[in-house]
Amino acid sequence: MAVTDRVQTPPPNTNQPASRDKSVKRLAFSQKVSKWDVKLSPYLYISPFFVLFAITGLFPLLYTAWVSLHTWNLIGGQGKFTGLENYEFVLAQPFFWNAVGNTFSIFLLSSVPQVVLAIAIAAVLDANLRAKTFWRMGVLVPFVVAPVAVGLIFNNLFADQAGLFNEVLTGMGLDPVRWHSDSLASHTAIATMVNFRWTGYNALIFLAAMQAIPRDVYEAATIDGAGRLRQFVSVTVPMLRPTIIFVVITATIGGLQIFDEARVFDQAGLGGADRQWQTLTMYIWELGWGQRNFGRASAVAWLLFLIIVLIAMANFLITRRIASQGGRR
Amino acid sequence: MHSRARITALSAAAACLALALTACGSGGSDNAGVEGETGTEDVTLSVGTFNEFGYEELFTEYEELNPNVTIEHKKAATSNEARDNLTTRLAAGSGLSDIEGIEMDWLPELLEYSDQFADLKDPAVEGRWLDWKEAAATTEDGQLIGYGTDAGPEAVCYRADLFEKAGLPSDRESVAKMLEGDWQNYFDAGKKFVAASDGTAWFDSAGATYQGMINQVENAYEDKDGTVIATDNADVKDIYEQVLQASVDDGLSAHLTQWEDDWTASFQSDAFATKLCPGWMLGIIEGNAKGIDGWDIADVFPGGGGNWGGSYLTIPTQGAHQAEAKKLAEWLTAPEQQIKAFESKGTFPSQVEGLESDTLLGQTNAFFNDAPTGEILANRANAIEVRPFKGPKYFPINDAMQQALTRVDVDKTDDPASSWEKFVTAVGAL
Amino acid sequence: MSSIPMIEQTAGKGAARAAQRGLGSRRRGAPGGTMRRPGFLTYGFLAAVILGSVFPLWWSFLVGSHDSSVISKGVPLVPGGNFLANAASVLDTIPFWKALGNSILVSTVTAVSVVLFSTLAGFAFAKLRFRGSKGLLVFVIATMAVPTQLGVVPLFIVMAKLGWTGSLWAVIVPGVVTAFGVFWMTQYLRDALPDELIEAVRIDGASMIQAFWYVGLPAARPAAAMLALFTFVATWTNFFWPFIVLDPSNPTLPVALQLLQAAHFVDYSIVLAGAVLSTIPLLLLFAVAGRQLVSGIMQGAVKG
Repeated sequence: MAVTDRVQTPPPNTNQPASRDKSVKRLAFSQKVSKWDVKLSPYLYISPFFVLFAITGLFPLLYTAWVSLHTWNLIGGQGKFTGLENYEFVLAQPFFWNAVGNTFSIFLLSSVPQVVLAIAIAAVLDANLRAKTFWRMGVLVPFVVAPVAVGLIFNNLFADQAGLFNEVLTGMGLDPVRWHSDSLASHTAIATMVNFRWTGYNALIFLAAMQAIPRDVYEAATIDGAGRLRQFVSVTVPMLRPTIIFVVITATIGGLQIFDEARVFDQAGLGGADRQWQTLTMYIWELGWGQRNFGRASAVAWLLFLIIVLIAMANFLITRRIASQGGRR
Repeated sequence: MHSRARITALSAAAACLALALTACGSGGSDNAGVEGETGTEDVTLSVGTFNEFGYEELFTEYEELNPNVTIEHKKAATSNEARDNLTTRLAAGSGLSDIEGIEMDWLPELLEYSDQFADLKDPAVEGRWLDWKEAAATTEDGQLIGYGTDAGPEAVCYRADLFEKAGLPSDRESVAKMLEGDWQNYFDAGKKFVAASDGTAWFDSAGATYQGMINQVENAYEDKDGTVIATDNADVKDIYEQVLQASVDDGLSAHLTQWEDDWTASFQSDAFATKLCPGWMLGIIEGNAKGIDGWDIADVFPGGGGNWGGSYLTIPTQGAHQAEAKKLAEWLTAPEQQIKAFESKGTFPSQVEGLESDTLLGQTNAFFNDAPTGEILANRANAIEVRPFKGPKYFPINDAMQQALTRVDVDKTDDPASSWEKFVTAVGAL
Repeated sequence: MSSIPMIEQTAGKGAARAAQRGLGSRRRGAPGGTMRRPGFLTYGFLAAVILGSVFPLWWSFLVGSHDSSVISKGVPLVPGGNFLANAASVLDTIPFWKALGNSILVSTVTAVSVVLFSTLAGFAFAKLRFRGSKGLLVFVIATMAVPTQLGVVPLFIVMAKLGWTGSLWAVIVPGVVTAFGVFWMTQYLRDALPDELIEAVRIDGASMIQAFWYVGLPAARPAAAMLALFTFVATWTNFFWPFIVLDPSNPTLPVALQLLQAAHFVDYSIVLAGAVLSTIPLLLLFAVAGRQLVSGIMQGAVKG
């Protein structure tokens, strides 16, 4: 690795007083090296990401922006330059706004319970349990199940007539839920799939962060007479701030891009006969791959990108405020 | 959240941008047909298929006959995946196989980009296929972009036991006689059945039945010149209303959506008594209805003949070995080979000679009460007269129509009139 | 608030040892928030969570252990005796071993490189002061917001230009460092690695890379272990992009498994037997790495 080669040379010790010219020169040189080391190293360390991003991230972003300003058939390719026409068109579509609404609804139904439940599970896992490894790995199992199996299973559970959930409901004398025709029901079902897959995962992330909280802080709180709940609210949560910000932002980004779970919710993959659960990414897919209108699809992709950035920023500010209310130590 | 495993989006240095953009629009404009010597050089040919083409053994046979050829089989699971894959590679301008299998319904759109595909017209294959099969893959100016493989001639599959219980004739000759005629006749028979049965519907799904009917209309959604006429076409609206009248008002439908879990499960619960069935549907019915006795198949289809599905082999002009590829495609789609594929995976031939083969005509199906399915489907294939024109917007329009039917038949969130309005809006947004 | 042990040695290993000792002493106490063993309510709650988590895997095994004629009548509650037969037909139908090898290779390389590069970048963002660091970090996070679906065509174009379509490079390279990993490491190291520790080794003459190697990496270990596991699993189960860019003849496991559905009538007992087979390596990994990972989490309790 070039990085290590470069820095193998620095002298191990710069603290000794220089008693000879040679040492003075060496010191001057090493100080120079050290100065550059301090200045350049950070950029060097972050460069792998940015180099890769230039190759695999920036190009699609610019490409998509370029496409969105043209009529562009997915197969036929570039048509004439139309400026913002694609944006105007999709913004005037009720289907677009329907997709925005669905995306936010599914996002809220999945991310809020997910984060809350994940913290709760993490707090429990953080206790002095027997057979820790078993419990901790157990909550992560949904993450390893092959997605094809998850899709099959949940479709089986949520089938309107033959599904297990509705069989149980009708067995208890209740009305079956119309999972595939009622908007909110379909959002709930999809959010359940999302939560199933990601709650344990987020719980372990929180757990790792909780483990990093020094125990003496809790001891001090105990001495101050704080109960467990009180400790959790005024010690654990504030100390988890960076992790909470992390989880909320990644959950926001992932949640607003929700695609797989909603797409496999029925066989047609278009988000329901009345677009009950068509999300923005599915709308992108419909425009681009279904209608071959790459230009309009790109416009929606860019709008989604802007929405996500805005929401993620708002989330960041809100989360920072909430998480710091407990007071940082 | 799923995107944490995200395909960390895409791209190469910005320098690539200019290159890439040009890669996207143009294709080879070499329409002159495929020339070149074959059989001399060592080549590896890739063949992209999906579902079951039944080619595995044929590939080995071909490699033995042509020692210079090695075949690499690239198989996708479903036709939807194959279509997404094909589209991405066409859009990106590279990555396609030397031979790409395509489904019949993709043709109208691919014909628009016929310059991406080699012209396969050849005196050697003249008259090989049923007229409508070959015509569907031919452009206005006579370029043939694909060789036909299988076809999906439609018959009516039915539950003889339930027919009998409801007092209807149940042997396949009498059923064929009873259902011979137009769709109204088919629905009338259904009304009789439903009145006499307890809770079993006549057919599975409004959408599936509609599909059988619309495939008999010559210009349903688009004019020959590509003008969208779907929402003004009286034929479309008639069929729409007729199907929903039968499904909802007359209660003939089991209110299911084809391929959904409820639909699959319904085969075990006597939910419906008839189902429109192209040849490839037989295996699906048999699989889903395992353990249920009483299925049979009648040599009849309401409103004349009808076809649903079937595939072609195309040769993208991206490929480096088009002459060798054409030779292979020509061999694979020859009647003798298609019959072998039929024997191996039941892919029903679209070749005229294939339909006369003794192997085919002698085939019976134990699950369908030992019906002579080969003969029945061959008759059904010969009964097809109308060649429905499907334009480049066929897919999205038909999707919107299926959604409109589902809203009324399955979801029950709309009445026929308001659902039609939504269909009009959706088509308007294309 | 900080009780960082004075680091007496100069740079290098000494500093690391000191740092490690620091970690070690910190975790003598109870690992949990309290020494008290939790009661049965806690275990009951956890048991419910685990049951729900394991159910789909168990269900897959149930279906995979019967044949399709049984399943069409509803999934039985006890396993059947058909699993090995189904597994055998999975091995007959798809290039399972090749796909397994590819998946192991792709997931391992991706996990190792993501951890290395993300930790490096996270260390810089969390602990080093440099011009533009805030803006660059926001930029990193913003890159996660680019919708994936549309990227498929441009990324495919790039891979085609590089001649990588069909090769494992096309799957590995886009994943060697992720914004997710960089963000995660940044957030973790920000609090888990005390500034004083870095200052101490710097004063003792360590270069930046030495500071990273001997202080940054050890402090990052628990988060790195999790990032490695997450990345490995996510790469292992990833379907969409590998499906687009790889050939079915040289697939990863999920791409190969899809071929089990290549028929008009799909036999789900075989599909799910395949799904279970593809999950077994991950469960083995859990069994081996689980203990390691958990103790890693515990050891990571560095906090000033």
